[in-house]
Amino acid sequence: MSESEVSGSDIYLQPRVLFERGKKYMVCAKSGHGKTSLLNFIYGSNRQFDGTIDYHEPVSDPFLLRRDKLSYLFQDLCLFADLTAMENVQLKNRITGYKSDAEIAKLLDTLLPSEKKQQPVRTLSLGQRQRVAAVRAICQPFEFLMLDEPFSHIDNDNAKAVAQVIADEVERQGAGLIVTALDRIDLFQFDRILNL
Amino acid sequence: MLSKLQRKTLIPAQIAGYALTLLIGVAIVLLTFQLYKDLRPLLTQQTDVFKAHTVTVSKNVTIFKTANKEGLYFSDSELQELQEQRFVNKVAKFTSSSFSTSASINLGSGGRMSTDLFFESVPDEYIDVVSDRWQWDSNSNFLPIIIPEDYLNLYNFGFAESQSLPVISQGTIEQVSFQIHVWGNGKRRDFESRIVGFSNKINSILVPESFLQWANEEFGKSEKQRNSRLLVEFSDASDEQIPPYFEERGLSINQNELESSKMVFFFKMAMLFIFAVAVIIILLSMAFIIMSLNLIIQKNRDLFVNLYNIGYSTKQIARFYQLVVSVITIADLLLASIVANCIRGAYIKRLSSLFETVGNGSAIWLTATVVCLLLLAVYNILIQRTIQRTV
Repeated sequence: MSESEVSGSDIYLQPRVLFERGKKYMVCAKSGHGKTSLLNFIYGSNRQFDGTIDYHEPVSDPFLLRRDKLSYLFQDLCLFADLTAMENVQLKNRITGYKSDAEIAKLLDTLLPSEKKQQPVRTLSLGQRQRVAAVRAICQPFEFLMLDEPFSHIDNDNAKAVAQVIADEVERQGAGLIVTALDRIDLFQFDRILNL
Repeated sequence: MLSKLQRKTLIPAQIAGYALTLLIGVAIVLLTFQLYKDLRPLLTQQTDVFKAHTVTVSKNVTIFKTANKEGLYFSDSELQELQEQRFVNKVAKFTSSSFSTSASINLGSGGRMSTDLFFESVPDEYIDVVSDRWQWDSNSNFLPIIIPEDYLNLYNFGFAESQSLPVISQGTIEQVSFQIHVWGNGKRRDFESRIVGFSNKINSILVPESFLQWANEEFGKSEKQRNSRLLVEFSDASDEQIPPYFEERGLSINQNELESSKMVFFFKMAMLFIFAVAVIIILLSMAFIIMSLNLIIQKNRDLFVNLYNIGYSTKQIARFYQLVVSVITIADLLLASIVANCIRGAYIKRLSSLFETVGNGSAIWLTATVVCLLLLAVYNILIQRTIQRTV
């Protein structure tokens, strides 16, 4: 990104930005301004930046960070099209065994028509897939949950339900939340809103 | 679920191709290795099938050496060098007489038949004739002699046959006594003598070494003893370096005694060739499966990246492929070992009817285990690395 693109940013080129556990942050920007990049930087899957990102303890392997500190709802979802909705969540849940199958089924049933959870993800609509990915994102222990434009394909009613499920889990884990969006959304009680 | 996802990425035909080529390669490697191990005792001196411990070595007589005999003698450095060869156990010198000798025999009618002679001697341990009369000391007037068996054969099957003379047995000759006359330095002495044995190893007229040492001092010219013939005892007569070594130095050696070393050389070469081909087959099968895995990993890059993104470690992602390749490799080696053992059983049966000592234990299982561990190590490290590089 050029300097003019990020001028006036609350994060880029700032001497220090702090995300605290237990607080909710919203990162707002137009498309192409580096919302996804920022989350990828934090997640450790993109290292094309100057500066440093410090976690509260040193991270030797991003795998450990991803396993039980940081959960990420990807903008492109990263679901496995050939697996069913249930299997997609289980695949992730198996790493830590954080939730039981019954809990997963209950979460999916809250957000999706119940027959959908046994269907391959390939057959689901984009909105439905987004909800599956959201459920998957909360099926692990985390200290921070990052959502990259989580409601872009979901109508308001469904978005509320998804936000409720996520907020409950964040509350339960005492975790921090970082949500990116094109425009402000008021589905969470944000502690701080940053403009990129 | 992970395996369900990853199972779809496998390419069965490629895996089958790997399994087949590896099976063939390993089976041949195991079999040649085992065959070599089984036949080795037959080819080396441990059995008497190809026995050739000691040979007589001399320099080749060429037209340039006929007048100037210096070139026929071994120098001290040449002796030293020969002694130091890996395949040489011991080197013994021929001692030759440096005095005049003749033998005579009294014919019944008062006549006498006489001939000039020469003697040589070698250390007793190299003499292949056992006789209690083979001894001499300075008080003894009896001089035992050993002549080559070939001399007798030459007479019996050549001369006697063509001249219609009676053939003579070894026993008959040993009964004939004759006189040996030795002189030099103005001294002369006569000995009673008999032939006490026939050597088929040493091609010379032999007397006890003690006699020759004494007689050379007593009657001989005082010059230093020179050696034109050597007895060389090999530690391993089947060593294929022996013929070229003697050839390069212009040494003549009783060739037919070294036929076994040539045979062993060709046998080893053939084995080595087959072994090398089999190793190449194994290497190709390895290259094949590694390329196949690379293809799988490249084709399914997104899948692996996704798995890594949702929190799977590269180890966990690699495990399925490591498992598949390991299981196939182990099964293949097991099968190859069984095949090799069956074939070995068949040839051992044939060989043991021909030779007594065959097959001192099978190394097939051990070799297969070693090969297996090597392959598994290579695969597991490579797969892990490739996946690490991909995600």
